[in-house]
Amino acid sequence: MRILLWAECQKIRRSKIVWITIFATLMLASIVFIGGLDQYKGPEVHYGLKTVCDGARYIDNAGWYMDEAQPWATFFVLPSVIALLGSYMICREEEEDTLKSLRLIPINEGKLTLAKMIITFVFSILLYLLLFSITFLTEVILHSTNLSAELVISALKEYLLDGVGVFLAISPIIAFTSRLKKYWLALVVTEIYCVAGMFAAMSNVLKKLYPITAVFNLSGYHITTIRNRMGSILILLLCSCLAALILNGLNHNKKKKNRVR
Amino acid sequence: MLNLIQTEFLKLRRRKFVWFMLSTSLIMPFLALLYFNYFGKKDIEPMQFYKMSAYGFTLFIILPIVLGMLCTMLMREENQYDMLKQLWIVPVSKMGYLLSKFFVVFVYSICFMLITAVASVIFSVIPGYVALEWGSILNLLEKCIIIGVLSAFVMLPILAIAASQKGYILPACVTLVYAFSGFILMSINAYLHPISSMALIVICNNDIPGVVLKQEMNIPFAFLCIGIWDIVALLLSNIALKRRK
Repeated sequence: MRILLWAECQKIRRSKIVWITIFATLMLASIVFIGGLDQYKGPEVHYGLKTVCDGARYIDNAGWYMDEAQPWATFFVLPSVIALLGSYMICREEEEDTLKSLRLIPINEGKLTLAKMIITFVFSILLYLLLFSITFLTEVILHSTNLSAELVISALKEYLLDGVGVFLAISPIIAFTSRLKKYWLALVVTEIYCVAGMFAAMSNVLKKLYPITAVFNLSGYHITTIRNRMGSILILLLCSCLAALILNGLNHNKKKKNRVR
Repeated sequence: MLNLIQTEFLKLRRRKFVWFMLSTSLIMPFLALLYFNYFGKKDIEPMQFYKMSAYGFTLFIILPIVLGMLCTMLMREENQYDMLKQLWIVPVSKMGYLLSKFFVVFVYSICFMLITAVASVIFSVIPGYVALEWGSILNLLEKCIIIGVLSAFVMLPILAIAASQKGYILPACVTLVYAFSGFILMSINAYLHPISSMALIVICNNDIPGVVLKQEMNIPFAFLCIGIWDIVALLLSNIALKRRK
């Protein structure tokens, strides 16, 4: 397994996809920053450790940038990028005709798929940590005195769990598109799946049941009860079980095909 | 040129995924139906329903992403099977090749928005959320056609990026960032981004409730923004295609 993980890391290093996803994350962070230059007008908002004051630019509120980049990234950009990466990694062996060579070694295809999923999982966490680093450094530059350690640690925890949760939430899509061998589909389906999360967030029931919004319950971005949080964790675990079932089917299909040949 | 366009459409028949993506036009009308059903509202202003089903996320996120993927797929087809060399030998003009792809995106975009318009009417009138008014339906159709036509031009920069790349990962990721930035820049300066400029053109009559603009409406500026981005995109794609062997 360790060799498979090492091989996947080597393959991903050679591919441009890592740089492109880093570029997407940087662009996302800068776009949210530009959005924060707008002035907030309305009653003062207090949510957990975060505050938004009337008459000030959003970005001038300590913690706003670290806080706000999370939902924008999760509803619009990062899950799609992660899903694309995951399904690309699984599909490319067949598309680039390297699967035959791998079978000749021979390699356990189940373990190979698992290694790819583990790399996607790590990549998901790293992308969120990269976004956290960008937002944190910007916050340090903008309001070094107002930034409390408690706020930073809670944001770090949220980002870390966002990375974990987003991978679990999109894992069925990665598995399904890999089974269909249409990695294009991963991007479109995940984007719609995430945008629909904004509507799901309007309902109190769907908020904890819909996987994308369940991610925020898991991370603590949404302040909620322990019961709701447990419900969300259960939903995300069910998503990962579904992905495992689909991927298991994928490997069985391959074995059947091999026997026929 | 007409032969090229015809060939592009004939090639599309083989791609089931393209037809599947057309079904995403039903998502926002359906979500709008669920939204109004959840809040139990009846006798909604038609424009309020259509704002959610056709002018909101459809305009800013879903249509740009679907068109971006279509552009990437169309440009990658020849690369994948190494057909470009043969096309240059025929010879096919490089701009003709690009414009034939653009024409497919153009027709696809209009079809997408027409399906959205029809679905919006069906999902609003049949469950009884909106009264049947021909005036508002015609207005919806007009706006959907405007969005369909303009979206194709707005996505020309993505087509140019797809033309300059052999892979699909960069155009796909740029599509995401491009759509997202258009959405955010709408509240900062709409004249910087083609998607936000297109949104300004769509709401130029100020007939969509709940839309507050932070800058003055200047439609020529919005067209200028789209025009500049398109000219730059065409120039860059021309250079990129000429460099390709």
